[in-house]
Amino acid sequence: MKLWMFNCKEVTRMLSDSMDRELSFHQRVGLGMHLLMCKFCSRYQKQLLFLRETIHLHAARGEDIEPFTTLPPEARERIKRYIHNVLDKSE
Amino acid sequence: MNPKNSSTDSPTINPETWVDHYGDYLYRFALSRVRDPSAAEDLVQETFLAALSARKNFASRSSEKTWFTGVLKHKIVDHFRKKAKEPSGDNIISGTEALDNLFDQKGQWKIKPAKWDADPMKLYEQREFMKVLNDCLSGLSSRMASVFILREMIGKTTEEICKVLDISATNCWVILHRARGYLRYCLEINWFTSISTED
Repeated sequence: MKLWMFNCKEVTRMLSDSMDRELSFHQRVGLGMHLLMCKFCSRYQKQLLFLRETIHLHAARGEDIEPFTTLPPEARERIKRYIHNVLDKSE
Repeated sequence: MNPKNSSTDSPTINPETWVDHYGDYLYRFALSRVRDPSAAEDLVQETFLAALSARKNFASRSSEKTWFTGVLKHKIVDHFRKKAKEPSGDNIISGTEALDNLFDQKGQWKIKPAKWDADPMKLYEQREFMKVLNDCLSGLSSRMASVFILREMIGKTTEEICKVLDISATNCWVILHRARGYLRYCLEINWFTSISTED
């Protein structure tokens, strides 16, 4: 029995790993058993998935819904001049 | 350049309009990932430079915005690659010692995860929440931020991240675990526990 049991600290590590790679059979069984019995690790799992979902939303749409951050005016002018010069040279 | 193609409807054909069309968008995209305004400006400039030399190959079927975003993503990966080679003060897993205090010596929860009452879609619309999330992201060490952003905001696999940053897979997984643990805890104490007090 002990062989299959992981403590909460080990389980949090496996929960994170499971988001990046496939766990071993032993890990999957142990993790599943632990989650059935431990509401805090189940909570931790949900919260990691929540974190991922929120970050993915942010990554996919952050640029479109965040209208307050703009390319600073100096940089804007500098990059425009730069593009203009490159185009001039390539004429 | 052919002047008759220089209409503002075709920014790909007229690079003079690129900055006005896509500058702010690309800047925000870069800034939310590299988290450094001057680096983000440089990345936008480099993106346009790369796009200038590649614009003849641009397939007009794909959207211009998607095209620029793809070029920028490559530039961001390069940015993290260069950054990983710079000597940095931070240890690979520094800055998150607090995580170890969540568990007792037997590895059981000492500070238990609180109940979060949250719908990501709704929270995502709240500027206050996104500010807390951004502050938490800023709390990651530079190495942890590189790995986490490449994984979750650029969509790289851990194998790809290992190559870019020249670290082992195990290291990569440990760093991601610690970054997630830190961010979860940071959100909990700075957002959720001030809203929900239930066990």
